[in-house]
Amino acid sequence: MKNFKLSAPTLLLLPAIVVLAAVIVLPLLFSFYSSFTPFRLTKPDTLWLFVGFRNYITALTSVDFWIAFGRTVLLLTIALNAEMLLGLGLAMLVNKATMGQRVLRTLMLFPMMFSPVLVGFQFKFMFNDNVGFVNNALQSLGITDRAIPWLIDGNLALFSIIVAEIWSSTSVFAILILAGLLAMPKDPVEAAHVDGCTPWQTFRYVTWPYLMPFAYIAMTIRSLDVARAYDIVKIMTDGGPAKRTELLWTLIGRTAYSDARMGLANAMAYIAILLSILFTVYFFRKLAAARQQIGAEW
Amino acid sequence: MSSVTSHRLRRRLLKVGHVIGLFIAMAIICLPGFWIVLSSLRPTVEIMAKPPVWVPESLSLDAYRAMFSGVGQGGIPVWDYFRNSLIISITSTVIALMIGMSGGYAFARYRFKGKSAIFLGFMLTRAVPGIALSLPLFMIYARTGIIDTHFSMILTYVALNVPFTIWLIDGFFRQVPKDLAEAAQIDGCTRWQAFWQVEFPLAGPGIASAGIFAFLTSWNEYALASQITRSVNSKTLPVGLLDYTAEFTIDWRGMCALAVVMIVPALTLTFIIQKHLVSGLTFGAVKG
Repeated sequence: MKNFKLSAPTLLLLPAIVVLAAVIVLPLLFSFYSSFTPFRLTKPDTLWLFVGFRNYITALTSVDFWIAFGRTVLLLTIALNAEMLLGLGLAMLVNKATMGQRVLRTLMLFPMMFSPVLVGFQFKFMFNDNVGFVNNALQSLGITDRAIPWLIDGNLALFSIIVAEIWSSTSVFAILILAGLLAMPKDPVEAAHVDGCTPWQTFRYVTWPYLMPFAYIAMTIRSLDVARAYDIVKIMTDGGPAKRTELLWTLIGRTAYSDARMGLANAMAYIAILLSILFTVYFFRKLAAARQQIGAEW
Repeated sequence: MSSVTSHRLRRRLLKVGHVIGLFIAMAIICLPGFWIVLSSLRPTVEIMAKPPVWVPESLSLDAYRAMFSGVGQGGIPVWDYFRNSLIISITSTVIALMIGMSGGYAFARYRFKGKSAIFLGFMLTRAVPGIALSLPLFMIYARTGIIDTHFSMILTYVALNVPFTIWLIDGFFRQVPKDLAEAAQIDGCTRWQAFWQVEFPLAGPGIASAGIFAFLTSWNEYALASQITRSVNSKTLPVGLLDYTAEFTIDWRGMCALAVVMIVPALTLTFIIQKHLVSGLTFGAVKG
């Protein structure tokens, strides 16, 4: 019986490891295996057939897949950058406010309380070509007299989805950057002012490096749930019109459940997982680097 | 002289610009939610009206009454969805908190081999998109016959919440000075007692906010729920809302009312934790 006692941290971490292994790691291994089979839900026997990399080749040579892939990356790039800039702007605006800051901060949190499905629904309602707020407003203001088909035209639909995505996640950036602004020491800014820096120089070389770690935390959090866009797209357009807003995740869902081609869908899913893990590790590293940089100065 | 006045003018302009900017930003943030609430209260005729009616003439709670009286309009059993959501979210939150507390404590108080690797590994499990995870879970749950049950949803959400709960709780335990627990141990407490009587109460608010965060994740989750839940047995509110929107007769008022029902618990809970949430998340930013 000696040496059988596990050390305290192992024991404490055990439940977490067991649950994550059972519900996430093992299923992923299983789906990794099934991505090498022509598994279809309707034909259970196909699970035991091994076809090597055929699913991956099918996925990687399919035009639909690459279009969805490119669109996903495009959407993420636009959305993350816009969220970052707007979040920074919003945080600065609120930080500058002399009164009612608490109320403003609470209001700023508002979109964070909306689940992606709700965000999707509310923008589906707002952008509805017939009864939506946006068209009603445009028509009442006399900017246009026809109904703009926000969710029916392919490009406009993608635009609407990006708007919804930005609306829902800008506050994550804003709130974290604001936390950074509030935690920042005042002396360096004053010193820069005395030394004759322009406001822009002060921001660029003094404030911004301090805010970097906070921005990267927001990026890391966001990259962990980039797949949230699935919910928004699903409810707003469901990949339509004519697949013009199809993202990786909606494509995977359609392949798996509508076409019942589980094997192929799992192969695609692995490519999607790889993509989000890359994002996460990238921002996690950036975070560590930015933290070290200011750690040296503080 | 003129430079002084121009300087003053510029400052005033900047100030006005700042207020206008703030106002526009806040309007954009609040407007969609406000519009949903308003639409759930006004008669359908007004929502559909052309040219649009901006100022509502009559407000009523009819939509809510219709929704909660038996099988609501459009055949959506809101009560069942509400109950499922509540059971699944609360149970999974409690379990995730217990697991998260033991894990977070281990990260905050012990040094061991491969600590940061394990931490990153935990976080990476969160990077798996819900829809990608839903494929194998769907197959496995269907095989074992636990698909479309509360149990399968709870199990899934516990796993979904554990990494983030550990991250948050780790941060909150770090904020509690180590000396306090050590002093308690010197005074004769066991480590177990020191934890429950000293460290736990101090980290309490933080843990509560981690719990609320986990609750919200479960409450709002859609991608997994949409595949693992199949019937009234276990369908949650987000899935119910999507079912509603996919119907042919579009009842905007009813959908808005359902959306309001979904947002109210989330709204209340987020208000409670807002302070702790930010401090928990940013704790690792500068003192990692």
